[in-house]
Amino acid sequence: MSGAKLVQGNEACVRGALAAGCNFYAGYPITPSSEIAELMVRFLPDAGGVFVQMEDEIASLATVIGASLAGSRAMTATSGPGFSLMQEHIGFATMAEVPCVVVNVMRGGPSTGLPTSPSQGDVMQARWGTHGDHPSIVLAPSSVGEVFNLTVKAFNLAERFRTPVTLIYDEIIGHTRESVVFPDSVDVISRPRPNGDPSTFLPKAAPPDGVPPMPAFGDGYRFHVTGLTHDERGFPTTDPGQAGALITRIHDKVTNHQEEITEIETLMLDDAEIAIFAYGIVGRSAHEAVLRAREAGIRVGMIRPLTLWPFPYHQVGEVAAQVDTLLVAEMNLGQLIGEVERAAAGRSEIVGHLRADGEPITPTDLVAAISGAGAVRT
Amino acid sequence: MTDVRDHLREWAMPHVLCPGCAHGIVLRSFLEAVDEQEIDRNRLAMVAGIGCSSRLVGYVDFCTLHGTHGRAPAFATGLKMARPELHVVVVTGDGDGLAIGANHLIHAARRNIDITVLLLNNSIYGMTGGQAAPTTPTGAVASTTPGGNTEPNFDACKLLIGAGASFVARVLAANPIEMTRVMVEGMTHSGFSFIEVVSDCPEYYGRYNGMGGGADMLTWMAGREVGVTGPLSSKRFVNHVPSSTAPPGMATGIIQREERPVFTGVHGEGSHGP
Amino acid sequence: MSDDSSGLLLAGVGGQGVILAGMIVADALVRAGHDVKQSEVHGMAQRGGSVFSHIRWGSSVDSPLVPLGSAEVLAAFEWAEALRWVEYVREGGAVVADLRTIVPPGSCTDRRSWSIRYPDIDPDLLGRRTLKTRIVDASSTAAELGNIRAANSVILGSVAAFLDIEHVHWEAAIERLVPAGTEAVNLTSFRAGCEVVEASIPPRPADPDGFPGPHEIDIRHEWCKGCDICSRVCPEYCLEVGIDGELALVDAEACTGCRLCELLCPDFAIAVSPPTENVSRGELVASAGDPP
Repeated sequence: MSGAKLVQGNEACVRGALAAGCNFYAGYPITPSSEIAELMVRFLPDAGGVFVQMEDEIASLATVIGASLAGSRAMTATSGPGFSLMQEHIGFATMAEVPCVVVNVMRGGPSTGLPTSPSQGDVMQARWGTHGDHPSIVLAPSSVGEVFNLTVKAFNLAERFRTPVTLIYDEIIGHTRESVVFPDSVDVISRPRPNGDPSTFLPKAAPPDGVPPMPAFGDGYRFHVTGLTHDERGFPTTDPGQAGALITRIHDKVTNHQEEITEIETLMLDDAEIAIFAYGIVGRSAHEAVLRAREAGIRVGMIRPLTLWPFPYHQVGEVAAQVDTLLVAEMNLGQLIGEVERAAAGRSEIVGHLRADGEPITPTDLVAAISGAGAVRT
Repeated sequence: MTDVRDHLREWAMPHVLCPGCAHGIVLRSFLEAVDEQEIDRNRLAMVAGIGCSSRLVGYVDFCTLHGTHGRAPAFATGLKMARPELHVVVVTGDGDGLAIGANHLIHAARRNIDITVLLLNNSIYGMTGGQAAPTTPTGAVASTTPGGNTEPNFDACKLLIGAGASFVARVLAANPIEMTRVMVEGMTHSGFSFIEVVSDCPEYYGRYNGMGGGADMLTWMAGREVGVTGPLSSKRFVNHVPSSTAPPGMATGIIQREERPVFTGVHGEGSHGP
Repeated sequence: MSDDSSGLLLAGVGGQGVILAGMIVADALVRAGHDVKQSEVHGMAQRGGSVFSHIRWGSSVDSPLVPLGSAEVLAAFEWAEALRWVEYVREGGAVVADLRTIVPPGSCTDRRSWSIRYPDIDPDLLGRRTLKTRIVDASSTAAELGNIRAANSVILGSVAAFLDIEHVHWEAAIERLVPAGTEAVNLTSFRAGCEVVEASIPPRPADPDGFPGPHEIDIRHEWCKGCDICSRVCPEYCLEVGIDGELALVDAEACTGCRLCELLCPDFAIAVSPPTENVSRGELVASAGDPP
């Protein structure tokens, strides 16, 4: 492979962030994400960015949001316990519509849990971790190369839709080294900017796509940013009409653009009777398991969402309509399987292959599951 | 003569604070300080947390961020490091800054980032209905200390000096001219400046402790002052200081001032860092 | 021996060097062979109060105090002091008056219109046509010569024109009594005072009879919450919160513009602005109750 570099998943995240124009990082040490901070401080400053190590994860994301309001493309990285602390500001960034990227390198939980064995136990927290109704954009890479690509995408989506975007992968991907050919450049999308008269500027008046233009503090537009429900002027209101309109808009700007956000990999589904639903590191085992099962003459395919949230109900539903059985494999005790059931709506049998003991799901496990042998539970 | 009310978002007024709450006096003194320094309001970012004092930022026509409870210093850190040319001022309260947000406050002080923190201390949680705060004096009544507070209270200035704040001052809301003077000193200080403003809460602290209304509490406050004579000290207030709630005198003025390196984040060669 | 003395009065404000000037005059007179007595009052020097020095001289002097209407010369270091003491000057006597104006605290019984208490700089106000007057700008002259504090020596130079004392005695007294190191500038100032021409009197204000009216208190009732802080802090009782909680301006005329109400209003509901139009002296005097 010409130009290939052997890099770790966490390093690919840093490279992706820098390629995407990240110029601000704030974080707090936690295994298995700490390499991201350690590499950021080596590369980001020389790329013209700013690095700061904060006193905790709450402060880390608050600082990232502050930097983003000042016009930076900003991110932080953590693992489960820190991700729990960041929920407060994921909610704030959602409400205040401040672009930022949060990387969660998952380890076993709950609480301090299994430092540091892999897990996919945070995928529902990534959807519903902060309080209140809110949309979520969550991306889940399966390889080091995908970590790079999806980090770039996370920044672009965050800026495009003025919302926090979570990149979520487990400890194995974070610490795996793979040969990757990185592109020379990537497409970079920036947040929409206002160009009107600052004196009549309404910070939360949105065009039809639901994403209001966003100036930075210091650009000459003076405006108020709050986590309280607010009106188009950005000022707090308890008016039910205004409150409902705001919450609906911040949902719709994501859900109405799902085609821009959703990314799915499928494998050998055309004639499949069984489909494996897997994501993240398990997607790699599923890929191998499909190839092995095909060799054994079993008609099996795979659907692997790279975008976990918003959940691709439509695409999963189409697969469910086609196959007899959907085998949901995840490294938790059943989190996205419920969403698969909602998507299938009874059109196929749903079987779970679930484990939450700090050990990965292997291709052998999945081939056995496909063959209907043991270790399967719904 | 300019009118500091030009800095208000008039359409948002009147503000939500209770009658006699001194927080508005503090805001006015701050706006006088802004005028005195002729700060470009496009370059002035005010960052607040949650609580009565934090609501103030909604009413001023600057770049204003009403963040989350206690986290204002962290938001401010991001703003200042990403855009060093901004004047960044944090407005926080005693609950916001000294309970849930104390960690962020002391670390901002330790780093010596070039921001100014105004901590409006009204000795109680006002927005939530008068619960005891880390600043509620021992013995004082709050809705969660109906028999009198049994905990000792923080001295915010000592805490911040201990944390390494390079500028620490205490002023009284009863003393607006001195407030403005000290705010100018703090804002022009290079590095982290912390100003505790002794404010009041007539609605809860005053009512629970039989201290009268806003004017009575300003008198009480001025009577606690040590070392500086406020312009109100000779005015015709009726003294109303219940002995059971009269804490010892407070030192006011600039308590700590030193020059030490200002932290601006980790920057690379040729970037906008030091 | 009967008293055949002449009198001289020096009057000014604390800090102007009146006492020192008196000592110099007395010393010069002694050197010229006179019997001299001098008396002075300087109790209010630290607060800008009036300071004066009586000097009498002749072959034999019984009392140090200059009787009303008998002074040969009045040297006033400040304009209002000239008016205050002019009655002490005899018919045909001289007044040396400095243009300097220092408003005495006692003139400010009505703080909104302090200027009403301070007289115009107008030689006619000295009253009698028989007086020889010499109006000087000693401070400017001394400042030009290098030390504004030598203004008293400039005035002495002007006084010398009206007294029959040889210059050697003046200069010897100055050298002996002024602070060490300032001899030269004081001598230069004295000589300049001897030659000084009549200072030009500054033009009168555009509206000599007009004075600032009371400050204007603007209440923004829609922002006021009726907390009563303003009414409690107003030293002049201008404001009152009614039983209905409504703030009212009950005595607009009494406002002195101290701005305490404005600075301590938590609701930005009060603005105090300087007077926008002058009112006549008569109106003010009438409203103040007691004539100046």
